[in-house]
Amino acid sequence: MKFLTKINRNYLILFSVILLVISFSTYFVLKTIIKENIKENLMVTGAFIKKQIAETNRIPELKPFIEIIQLSGKSGKNKQFKDVILFNAKENEEEVYIEYSEIIQANNAYYLIKIREASVESEDLAISIAVVIFILLLIAFVISYLITRRLNKTIWHRFEYNLKEIENFNFKENKAIQLRASNIDEFDRLNQVIKNLTDKLKKDFLSLKEFTENASHEIQSPLTIASLNLEETLQQKLSEESFKKVVIAINAIQRLTVLNHNLLLLTKIENNQFAASDFIVLNELIENKIQEFDPLLREKNIQIEFISQSVFQVKMNLNLAGILINNLLSNAVNHNIDNGTIRITVDQNEMTICNTGTVNELTDETIFNRFVKGNSKSYGLGLAIVKQICDTHQLEIHYSKNEFHCFTISQKIATL
Amino acid sequence: MKILIVEDEIELLIAISNYLTKENYICELAENFAKAYEKITIYEYDIILLDITLPDGNGLELLKSIKKYNLKAGIIILSARDSLDDKIIGLDEGADDYITKPFKLTELNSRVKALLRRLNYTGSNILVFNEISINTDSKTIAIHDKQLTLTKKEYDILLYLIINQNRVLTKEAIAEHLWEDNIDLTDSYDFIYTHLNNIRKKIKAAGGADYITTLYGMGYKFTDQ
Repeated sequence: MKFLTKINRNYLILFSVILLVISFSTYFVLKTIIKENIKENLMVTGAFIKKQIAETNRIPELKPFIEIIQLSGKSGKNKQFKDVILFNAKENEEEVYIEYSEIIQANNAYYLIKIREASVESEDLAISIAVVIFILLLIAFVISYLITRRLNKTIWHRFEYNLKEIENFNFKENKAIQLRASNIDEFDRLNQVIKNLTDKLKKDFLSLKEFTENASHEIQSPLTIASLNLEETLQQKLSEESFKKVVIAINAIQRLTVLNHNLLLLTKIENNQFAASDFIVLNELIENKIQEFDPLLREKNIQIEFISQSVFQVKMNLNLAGILINNLLSNAVNHNIDNGTIRITVDQNEMTICNTGTVNELTDETIFNRFVKGNSKSYGLGLAIVKQICDTHQLEIHYSKNEFHCFTISQKIATL
Repeated sequence: MKILIVEDEIELLIAISNYLTKENYICELAENFAKAYEKITIYEYDIILLDITLPDGNGLELLKSIKKYNLKAGIIILSARDSLDDKIIGLDEGADDYITKPFKLTELNSRVKALLRRLNYTGSNILVFNEISINTDSKTIAIHDKQLTLTKKEYDILLYLIINQNRVLTKEAIAEHLWEDNIDLTDSYDFIYTHLNNIRKKIKAAGGADYITTLYGMGYKFTDQ
């Protein structure tokens, strides 16, 4: 969930609760206050009536609000409040009144006076005040919500921008990360940390890259010297044992050379050192490579089927494209069985190369990892190079196994 | 034939020079840019083997000087940098061939011979070994003046053997020469064995002698001795 959404959601829930609690408590508090107020009024009115009776000795008639009854003697409670329901003929409904009754003594006579006030009015008042408060609070809330949202957006805008910048950051592009200052200490501190981290990572990445390249170069010369000297040794009269030892040494150096060459190639592809400058029609390239491989295919008596349905064109360095097809074909030959089959299908934006082979030779997509070998004779880098070429050229490669081992290369559809 | 070898690794320089001297070339050595530059401006060479990574200067600069002072010389770049871009630049600047370290001396020899043929130093495009004669232009082989039909790979193998006659060649060296880039082909060694047998049979059938000696099942030598 987005930070802002989360904050807003919490804000909303919390405010709804607060709004309800405040509205209801306002209602009850007001109700009590108003009721007390009415009671006070009623008592004042009672005192006033008592004074009037004492002075005029006459009973005022003000039904239903004031009722005065002359009593023969003092009986019952002196003062009391109670809620009564009376019928209002004018509005044709029953209404609740608060009634204040008091027995007073004036001019040696006892009177029971009942003073009433419609409590509906007080209830209505409490409700309307609570509603008004509710509406006011609601308006205040909506305004503050909008303001906060607006503020958040401006405050978080740069953060979002920086986040996007970090997401799109790629070490392989030789570009430093560009973060915007936000004038907010916490964010700026985060930016600084990220900047330091990426700079450090970039430096490590570059030095690792340089190391691989330099190490590979530096290894070439001693390898050459060793191999040349061994080759010369081979020309001398040697016993069978010595001869075999020298040949084994030469072959080991040869393996090292190939390994070194392939690792260097991988590094270079990774570093995008091959400009994708040529439009390669893979169909033609495959056709040529099949001819090149022909003697080897005959050797193992491998049948090759090439089904060219449509032209598959890729933008790639010519040599890399050659290596790509080469490695795939080498793989199909190396892992094939005698009298086996290789089937190559090329369609628009897709090519598949399938070969017969032993059942459990290749397992899953880990075959694209470096030094994963199907048999001990190979170097375990051929498919890693294929994968790397695909990765740097918007191509996807998949491996699937049924009765054939199949590698499918397809063009990634550009998502805009 | 006079060859100038420019290479900063002394041991490598000596190994190349020893080998080429045995092949009857006159070798001169330069282990740095300054020495190489001096020699290029004073003497004339038929072939210059040039390492482009030198401690005191760029070999590509030397290439320009060669084109200025030693126009007739054929140039083969020796490089530890097997980047394809370097190769293209080198060839664009006027180098005739490009060989990546580590290389086999026999491979270097083939390249030198091929370059000499291209530059027409030998005066002929016919390579003769006893009754076998190879026309490197038309890529045809004749035995006792009778045409011998070989596949392209068989032709390549035979040419390589004859150029490097009297030298022990491993199966792997022959395979490497044949396939160059197809380095991951683990089965190509068996292929060499089959094809050498085919070549033997074909030469024998055409009335030629068997000059291919097998050494302990691991190496081959093309020799009439």
